[in-house]
Amino acid sequence: MFDDTKSTERVMADDDIKITAKGVDVFYDKTHAIKNVDVDIQNRAVTAFIGPSGCGKSTFLRCLNRMNDTIDICRVTGDIHLDGNDIYAKDVDPVQLRARVGMVFQKPNPFPKSIYDNVAYGPKIHGLAKNKAELDEIVEKSLTRAAIWNEVKDRLDAPGTSLSGGQQQRLCIGRAIATAPEVLLMDEPCSALDPIATAQVEELIDELRQDFTVVIVTHSMQQAARVSQKTAFFHLGDLVEYGETDKIFTNPVDPRTESYITGRIG
Amino acid sequence: MFGLTLIAVAALGIVFYASARSRAVSLAGDNQQALHSRPNYHGFLAFLVSILAGVAVLVVVWTAWGSFIESRFIAHILEAQPELSPIEVELVLNDARAIAEGGIASRTDALRTQIATEIGSQTQLHHYGTMALALLAAALGGLWCLKSAHLGWRARNRSETVVRRLLLLMAAIAVATTAGIVLSLIFETLNFFNNIDWQIHKFLFGTTWSPLSGVQAGKLDPEKVGAIPLFAGTLLITIIAMLVATPIGLFAAIYLSDFASARVRAWAKPMLEILAGIPTVVYGFFAAITLAPFLRNSGEAVGLSIASESALAAGIVMGIMIIPFISSLSDDVINAVPQSLRDGSYGLGATKAETIRQVVLPAALPGIVSAVLLGISRAVGETMIVVMAAGQGANLTANPLEAVTTVTVQIVMLITGDTEASTAAGPAFTLGFTLFLITLLMNVVAQRIVRKYRETYE
Repeated sequence: MFDDTKSTERVMADDDIKITAKGVDVFYDKTHAIKNVDVDIQNRAVTAFIGPSGCGKSTFLRCLNRMNDTIDICRVTGDIHLDGNDIYAKDVDPVQLRARVGMVFQKPNPFPKSIYDNVAYGPKIHGLAKNKAELDEIVEKSLTRAAIWNEVKDRLDAPGTSLSGGQQQRLCIGRAIATAPEVLLMDEPCSALDPIATAQVEELIDELRQDFTVVIVTHSMQQAARVSQKTAFFHLGDLVEYGETDKIFTNPVDPRTESYITGRIG
Repeated sequence: MFGLTLIAVAALGIVFYASARSRAVSLAGDNQQALHSRPNYHGFLAFLVSILAGVAVLVVVWTAWGSFIESRFIAHILEAQPELSPIEVELVLNDARAIAEGGIASRTDALRTQIATEIGSQTQLHHYGTMALALLAAALGGLWCLKSAHLGWRARNRSETVVRRLLLLMAAIAVATTAGIVLSLIFETLNFFNNIDWQIHKFLFGTTWSPLSGVQAGKLDPEKVGAIPLFAGTLLITIIAMLVATPIGLFAAIYLSDFASARVRAWAKPMLEILAGIPTVVYGFFAAITLAPFLRNSGEAVGLSIASESALAAGIVMGIMIIPFISSLSDDVINAVPQSLRDGSYGLGATKAETIRQVVLPAALPGIVSAVLLGISRAVGETMIVVMAAGQGANLTANPLEAVTTVTVQIVMLITGDTEASTAAGPAFTLGFTLFLITLLMNVVAQRIVRKYRETYE
């Protein structure tokens, strides 16, 4: 699954696809939230989902690690393959899937535990560390990757909720990295943050694509333009346009995309 | 008569409401905006002032006049027959009242008939006089409002002040009642300690409880007021009850909040709450008539001797009674843990069990602890179940299969027993005060825990 030779290879090939979605439909009860969406998500790149509120971009994101399973009335049809394997197949355990496809949420949601335990939570439940020393190392590495280690290394025992909003969000990103996922899903990770914290998280996202496949949902078109290589524009449950970020923002094909990025609808 | 006067005052108030309102309208004429207060406030103020004046006069004059004429009757009776004791005077007065109202008296004699005629005339005067005064006061209050009204009359501000003072009065009544109860507990407790020559340690640490045996002239034997068996019994039953209620209540809450489908939840939660609505007296006879004999018989079958009134039976049933408290409160706090925390945990690949054990329960813990402490307060203060199922003898034991007694049971025994109230009240009030202190302490601790460890989630 995790091929070490790839991490040195920085050339992005278009056929290096991590996730393939084909004909995905999502229903909340009777509401048709996602309509026949096809997307190929590139490995080790940042893919941004943009679109107006209620367009289904978050719903679609949550299909990628089967988070929608936790909502009773939600029904997903179609094919989603991770590394060629159907993640909605009967024998796939969503719990194991989510260990490979991590998620960071809109609002920072640190657990009511210490900073250390917040990060150690995932490695502990998945048995990633054989002893305390290894766990310490994972925690330090994850927090360093999340660009927050220097701020919290002296108070790892403090509750995670005592941090500021931006720090909490980076803690949550560190927590997600600690379980060593292959894909990181981010659902509007900066919407509750101020501009400085947003800049820090964006910088972090850009670094993370060296090791992870990142999919980010965002309201902010500037953010999508800054951090992503690929952009998908959703509107009213349809995937309107999907392609290279540069192309979407400079030369969109669909008139709806153009209206949205120029601010006429939204 | 009192009620009739009240109705008359209220009717007068409504009349003043209407007239003050229409006076305000006519004062303003074409320019309604010239009025400082809307006409409704003019009316409302007149209504309030007239009613409050009327009711105040009614209550004060009625009681003052009534006690004045009563003291005159008593003086008359004592004048005629100075040798009567206060209780006999009371009897004569009651008989005279019965004669005056055409009822049946225990005896009819010259004095009684004379007093009866006096009562007849005086009472009529009392009633009609009070009514007239009350209506006069209401009318004066209302007229004062009508007369004072002008364009700049601040009827709204004034009526709001009146309402605010009324609310203050109600709050003061509630607080004063609480303070009065606590004070009376404290004084009776001090009185009791005085009766046992201030040997408080004998009450707190003594092991023999039989306060009323050999009591003469209100003097209690300090050797027989040891409350330890009562505290021990209360503690034993409370522990058994919490051992039953905490796991069942908590696990039920976890099931309801995180596992049950919406349909199951929709009927299971109300069912649990019905359990909380069953009167404790029903639990009590369930314990005494159903569970206790069952326990005794099953005990016999395995060679255990279980008393027919046992701490075990009372504790189990009390635990059942407390289940809905724990489950309902815990369910609320578990539900209050934000979905985002659960999502965060699921997003890391945690299972439902891991999420609940390591994220949801720690987040909800302060609330759960306070639910348990509230449950303990209930258990400590519970009376009917233990009266029926736990036993009455002050028996110092840690064996749940034997009969024990509790603080509340002994209070019931003391107050409903045939010892005169003044003697029995001392130990009863002291036990009540102790119970009050324990429950208060528990509630304070529960609140502090909640406040200290509460995580604030938006």
